[in-house]
Amino acid sequence: MKLGIIKEVFKNVFTKPMTLLFPFERLEIPERNRGEHSFDIDTCISCGACARICPNLALEMIEAPPEMKEKYPKTYPQIDIGKCCFCGLCEDTCPKGSIKLTTNVFLATFDKDDTVRSPMSWNK
Amino acid sequence: MTKINEQKVNSDFAMNFGPAHPGSGNFAIKVEMRGERVLKATADPGYLHRGFEKLMEYREPMQNSVLSDRVCVLEPLQWNLVHAEAVDYLMGYEIPERAKYIRVILAELSRIQSHFIWYAVLSLGTGFMTGFNISIGYRDYILDVLNLITGGRVYPAGYICPGGIRKDFPEKAENKILELLPKIDYMRKFMLKENPAWLSRFKEIGVLTKEEAIKFGATGPVLRGSGVAADVRRDDPYEIYDELEFDIPVMDEGDALARFNVGVQEIEESMKIITQAIERLPKGEVRTPTLKPIVKFQNAKGEIYIRNELSRGEGAFYMVATGQKTPYRVKIRGPSFTHMIPIVEHLLTGVDYADVPAIYWSLYQCPADVDR
Ligand code: SF4
Ligand code: SF4
Repeated sequence: MKLGIIKEVFKNVFTKPMTLLFPFERLEIPERNRGEHSFDIDTCISCGACARICPNLALEMIEAPPEMKEKYPKTYPQIDIGKCCFCGLCEDTCPKGSIKLTTNVFLATFDKDDTVRSPMSWNK
Repeated sequence: MTKINEQKVNSDFAMNFGPAHPGSGNFAIKVEMRGERVLKATADPGYLHRGFEKLMEYREPMQNSVLSDRVCVLEPLQWNLVHAEAVDYLMGYEIPERAKYIRVILAELSRIQSHFIWYAVLSLGTGFMTGFNISIGYRDYILDVLNLITGGRVYPAGYICPGGIRKDFPEKAENKILELLPKIDYMRKFMLKENPAWLSRFKEIGVLTKEEAIKFGATGPVLRGSGVAADVRRDDPYEIYDELEFDIPVMDEGDALARFNVGVQEIEESMKIITQAIERLPKGEVRTPTLKPIVKFQNAKGEIYIRNELSRGEGAFYMVATGQKTPYRVKIRGPSFTHMIPIVEHLLTGVDYADVPAIYWSLYQCPADVDR
């Protein structure tokens, strides 16, 4: 019985710990992970399917500001990440693949307004 | 159980177990005490009510699928499955064979990780921190694989959806699941033998007899721990369970240890199911009719009551469709309700206070699913 404990101790000295030292090592995030959205305004056809399927009403179709109206005459989705539940239905429903959920999961912010991403300034 | 004099004495007092107790999880029990003895226990649920049944009447089935995750935090994939089956029936969907296998594999993985949580809260509640840490650690290996497949660690966001599943397995997912099995097995053995002093604490406390278990409507490991061999996977098979070989663990003692041991043995059975399902996993489509997340619920009419064996017991959905875009009525039957209100009140009467956490956690509760 006692020897068993010593064996266990030696085994544990040489095995890798179960935890990671976070900022220096990190877990690989799989490609399918549902994190922050990316949006490509140039492929969007303004069909509004994403806003209709969103269960949390996080997407809203808005118009472009006047100076960009010429280039983008229709309505485009604006997202409020604070309302989103990261279900990925918008990604699945988009006919053009303009909205995609990415592997970025670091979304904490100090300012509530930072959660809203307008279609013009949304990262691609 | 000793008989207690009903008359109040001056030293009697009442106290609350929960809802802010670490691990009681948004659920409270008011216990009336005489010294160290519990005179009466009253369950006090309602701290986590989110109104899913009503919410589901205002959302389309695909959106409800996302919502059905949250009925119970610890077994979201299984709730996904029950909800999806209800809509499948009303819509008359034929589920592709591959999707059925994947549904079962994921439901069983979810069952295993839920049983790990059971061990974790049981140890946390009774002061065995090593058990809590190691079990949460090993659960994480399963969550990593779930993240790879569904895109979310805890919440799959309706991965098992009406018509099949939302996306096919990613590359090498089968291998990743098979690589998990030795780790799960290590943890299972740990749960069986560690540690003897702590395990003996659960012997002969909270005894629920066979008759009582049936009378109070217990299901799942709680019922099987009292000597009744009932399992929806066997009695009323759904998906592909009738093609698979597995046993239903039953124990006759009815005490806290028996309930827990049934859970540990179920992990082994779940591993068998996963191995068989992966071996036979066919190729092909995973979703009818399209991969778009749209269900034309206007075409559905009728009502259905579908039940499944979740990790905690029997979970069911009752759904009525009247030709609208959204369900007319949804009723959810959660397994924890009967365990947490009548059974916990019955078992806690007359026990020592020190046994309250042990009995409470041995009932494998989920406050989220009591309140819904
Ligand atoms: S991920 Fe879901 S909740 Fe978030 S914006 Fe897309 S549809 Fe809406
Ligand atoms: S992002 Fe996609 S779904 Fe949304 S409006 Fe544009 S094209 Fe349509």
